[in-house]
Amino acid sequence: MRKLLLCLTGIFIVAGGILIFGATKAYALDENKCLACHGTPGMTKTNGDGKPISLYVSEEAVNTAAHRFIDCTTCHTSEPHKVQTPLTKLSLAQKCGTCHQYQYKQHQSSVHGQQLARGNSDVATCVDCHSPTGNPHSVIRVLEYNAPTYKKNIAQTCAACHNDEKLMANYGIVEKVYESYMRSFHGKAMQLGTYEITQLDKATCTNCHGVHDIKSADDPSSAVAGLESLAKTCESCHSGAGIEFARGFLGHRDASPDNIPAAHNAEILFRFLLVTVLSFGAFVVITAIIRFSINRWREEDGG
Amino acid sequence: MAAKVEAFAPALTPDGQIRRFDIHQMIQHAVLAVSFILVVLTGIPLKFHEWAFSRWWIGLWGGIEVTRTIHYIGAWMMVAVSLYHLFYIWYSTAILKRPFPIKMVPSLKDAVSIFQELGYYIGLRKTMPENDRFNWKEKFDYWAIFWGIPVMAGSGFILMFPVFFTRFLPGWVVPTALVAHSDEAMLALTWIVMVHIFFNHFSPSGFPLNKAMFTGKVPANRYRREHTLEYNRLMGIEPAAKKDNENKEEE
Repeated sequence: MRKLLLCLTGIFIVAGGILIFGATKAYALDENKCLACHGTPGMTKTNGDGKPISLYVSEEAVNTAAHRFIDCTTCHTSEPHKVQTPLTKLSLAQKCGTCHQYQYKQHQSSVHGQQLARGNSDVATCVDCHSPTGNPHSVIRVLEYNAPTYKKNIAQTCAACHNDEKLMANYGIVEKVYESYMRSFHGKAMQLGTYEITQLDKATCTNCHGVHDIKSADDPSSAVAGLESLAKTCESCHSGAGIEFARGFLGHRDASPDNIPAAHNAEILFRFLLVTVLSFGAFVVITAIIRFSINRWREEDGG
Repeated sequence: MAAKVEAFAPALTPDGQIRRFDIHQMIQHAVLAVSFILVVLTGIPLKFHEWAFSRWWIGLWGGIEVTRTIHYIGAWMMVAVSLYHLFYIWYSTAILKRPFPIKMVPSLKDAVSIFQELGYYIGLRKTMPENDRFNWKEKFDYWAIFWGIPVMAGSGFILMFPVFFTRFLPGWVVPTALVAHSDEAMLALTWIVMVHIFFNHFSPSGFPLNKAMFTGKVPANRYRREHTLEYNRLMGIEPAAKKDNENKEEE
């Protein structure tokens, strides 16, 4: 009996060990053993301009990446050592576009893609949103919790650039888009929600502005340009929403005399009420506490 | 039944207490308190959404879908109990022909009482002002709710059904309703916690739990102290005798 118990415990420990230590091990397809050399941290080469380029590919990242079962040579060609380097943002996006043609075409028409074609390197391309590190080897699937494109993480992903005041000033975007989103009902629902799949029906940046085909809000073809198309965008979730519904949107700005004055005036009215009523209440309570304490102290003293 | 209901006429009970509230008033207060607590517990984390505590708290309830439903349930409870209250007043005055609850109406005396009470607290007066059935704080609480519930319910329903309301109302009502809902909630919550709870449960006569609103009854001696004017009327004590009492206390 004791032997049996011992055996069972042993089996349990071994099985648990396999589960715990074996679970995290995933292997990428590496038919040509590229990682034998390129898996060494610190591997660099000097390119034509005399600049060092890292040639290291993290095995750990690539083993969990979306493309782990696609061999290196698919992107790096069958003659990887003859490829012209360095890659640019544009050439990298083109590379993704060889397979993801539809998304690449959409991106080309987007405000990011248009700027990219003009040689602007500020803009977001595929890896900026799809890879947690910006490294093309660690691109992960949209529905993975730690993906920058997972619904709950999208606002933070956009905020990496769009919450950068200096960078946005170059493009005339003065609204604090990230903060105002997080303050909104959509942002609160997202923020207070879990990482569960139910989060997918909550609106974030991309629901109104578009995903790969994201447009500038000033572009007439944008889904948020003008009240009518804005109302249509609202309507895609809030069925039956009309022009007035869209008119109630503060537009990523605070309420002010020029932007929904009624809300601005309500803020002032309630701030006045809060300050006056509550300071009166606090005064009554504090003086009462002092008086009751004095009474108590005198009673005890007298007794 | 009608004889037992003493909505607007307190009376001495056999156990030497004074019946202050009838069963309807107790139910109304209880439902109002429960619904208030529900909407506060599920509403505050929305206002303070950036706190890590809010995220933890909402997760504890089972996510924002759950707290939203509970907030709605609390809201409907509060609206229902308010309608119950209005119906109760209408029924007891119009059908049962009881006198209108005039004791709750603010008067000049309340304004004077505020200064007298504050004077007592800061040491300018020797005694608290004498109260009739309701002191000014109780009237303030009542009328604050009388103003607050229409504000909260009106703005809350706009936020609950924004598409419906913007069909016939201008769009600005939605962000305005949000401001009103959020700020009025803070006003109500802070007042209730700071003033209402303090004076009812932490003041020397009420501590640790003032059971008046839950049993409907108040011990006669406390009633004499806190609602002197009505106690005297109830007991047939002449104002002159009351003066005597006061003098005795001051000695």
